[in-house]
Amino acid sequence: MPVSGFKIKDVLMELSAATGVSGDEGAAIDVAARYFRQYTDRVKRDRFGNLIAFKEGKLPAGEPRFSLALAAHIDEIGAMVTQIARGGFLRFTAIGGIDPRTLLGQAVVVHGRTPLKGVVGALAPHLLAERERRKELTLEKLYIDVGLSEAEAREQVRVGDLISLDQEPVLLNGEKCCAGKAMDNRAGVAVLLQCAAELASMQHRADLYFIATVQEEVGLRGAVTAAYGVSPDLAVAVDVTHGAAPGLPDHEVHSLGKGPVIAIGPNIHPALGEKLHALAQSYRLPYQIEPVAGNTHTDAWAFQVSREGIPTALVSVPLRYMHTAVELLNLDDLIAAGQLLAFLSRSLDGAFWEGLSCY
Amino acid sequence: MEALLKKLTETFGPSGEEAAVRTLIEAEIKDSVDRIFTDNLGNLFALREGAGPAIMLSAHMDEIGVIITHIDEHGFMRLAPVGGMAPHLLIGQRLRFRDGRVATVYHEKLKSLRDLEWSKLYLDGGAAAAPPENPVAVGDLACFDQPFQRAGGRYLAKALDDRAGCALLIETARRLPRELPHTVCFVFSVQEEVGLRGATTAAYRLKPAYGLAVDVTRVGDTPKAPVMAVSLGQGPAIKIKDSSVICHPLVRRFMIDTAAELGIPYQLEVLERGGTDAGAIHLSREGVPSGVLSIPCRYIHTPSEMVDAGDMEHALTLLVKLCSKPWPAL
Repeated sequence: MPVSGFKIKDVLMELSAATGVSGDEGAAIDVAARYFRQYTDRVKRDRFGNLIAFKEGKLPAGEPRFSLALAAHIDEIGAMVTQIARGGFLRFTAIGGIDPRTLLGQAVVVHGRTPLKGVVGALAPHLLAERERRKELTLEKLYIDVGLSEAEAREQVRVGDLISLDQEPVLLNGEKCCAGKAMDNRAGVAVLLQCAAELASMQHRADLYFIATVQEEVGLRGAVTAAYGVSPDLAVAVDVTHGAAPGLPDHEVHSLGKGPVIAIGPNIHPALGEKLHALAQSYRLPYQIEPVAGNTHTDAWAFQVSREGIPTALVSVPLRYMHTAVELLNLDDLIAAGQLLAFLSRSLDGAFWEGLSCY
Repeated sequence: MEALLKKLTETFGPSGEEAAVRTLIEAEIKDSVDRIFTDNLGNLFALREGAGPAIMLSAHMDEIGVIITHIDEHGFMRLAPVGGMAPHLLIGQRLRFRDGRVATVYHEKLKSLRDLEWSKLYLDGGAAAAPPENPVAVGDLACFDQPFQRAGGRYLAKALDDRAGCALLIETARRLPRELPHTVCFVFSVQEEVGLRGATTAAYRLKPAYGLAVDVTRVGDTPKAPVMAVSLGQGPAIKIKDSSVICHPLVRRFMIDTAAELGIPYQLEVLERGGTDAGAIHLSREGVPSGVLSIPCRYIHTPSEMVDAGDMEHALTLLVKLCSKPWPAL
């Protein structure tokens, strides 16, 4: 069921290339907002910076309105300048869960007075004693070299400036797979857009809120305020989960190309999780199941306990090499995830919604 | 400022038992504000009415301490930390209870100091009996017992974290002009050291348009300190980020511009570990754009925290100005 004019590949690549480190998601949000405007009634940013796109549901007269929020975080991991050290080298701290091992040799952009190209350096192996070489690489040993003298660096860069990974997305296996930075979680935002595009030709009763949340990587912060502000009756978070790769046990990961991953566990409302499951089966969409014993570490965790509590579910896209500059995923999984959410939106009615609080 | 700091830091107030600090602050600030009230958790609100939407300024009243968990028949008391207290700092220290009673801390025989942990520490208050003969009860709180002192251009005291912030809020209230562009609500919060708990409910109640926490921060200017581009005596720090908050760019910019306009020195702060009331305020309800003004402080969470007198004065000048001018619209 291809949607005319909507190409997930293009959307995802544009989103991935845009900058949006937690705390300054503006550029990525501008890209997302441009697309959401095509498929929704109105788009705004809330006080916290979350992007909220609204599409009104069509209900028979007299039926009570209810709303579904679909949320995906738009921020990406990155770093922040902590010190301009002697020689103009920049010391930095992590924004979100960045792994020092994957940073060494990485190209970055330092968002100083103007964006500056830089690379992450450390002592060359030739210069390290054998013992030193075997030691764990920590952030304290790394620095960013922007090629400027100390005086120039002090002119251009301040403590607190953000640093993003510099990596254009690439297509692999023809155009089936895509790898790049920030796929966690621009993939989720692309899924929301896929869903919104699908819904151009579908009726839905629920009022729909598509939310691109900010500051997820530093503690689900955007989701906390968005959930409170929108106060939806139901919510589905869309994020990425670990894809199968060499060395990882099968029971901890999910295969790329085998469909979106539906979470079950205490973070998930059982009836809403079951509904997604049933929809995937009846529309013959590929899907996988992920049991999560407690905290899913996604926006779903924040939505569930907002205000009086929100029935919440989680749909994930399998992705390899999470929190690196080469996060890799299969585009078919994104399309299927978007379709699944569209079918969910179409299927919801007042009776189902009211039934969610009956145990 | 110095006399006020002395009173504030020498007062007893571990998290959960801030009453004495609250009483003191209420007396110090009541003549400078329009309204004063408390809430269910014990937060103190002191409000100056102004023309525009409310700015919540927050400094926490509580300090780190210990709680008594067990008292044996010889009167020796076992203890657990309240907030970020380190066991090695307690050896040989005097601790003080709410009623003024004092005790000292020592440890069981250890093979090495490396084996020191909370279960090896005990508190000796001079009473050789279990309750009820022992005047201390399980659940009683104690804090450091240290006098406030001036050392050169610096202040040394326990609980400068965050009575330094409390002092600044009180002094700011005293110096505000008659007409204010915003309602300014000074919040003296409880239970920051155990998880920003007072600020959480205070922000929910106030629904402020902006938040500004005033608290101490770490420095990197001592021998072999971890990297941190903040030093004592170089001016107050405008926080960019810590573990609890990424300060709102608009608020940050407003603070930087105001400091520049006043011509006072300031530093930019990225704190890798630790949080403050702004962490709770900015996530309140639909979100509150928030910033933090930090006082550089050495030896945080020890009996001898140290701040610079000049940093305090500059922070005060900046705070008064921040409360006196209109904040930028979102």
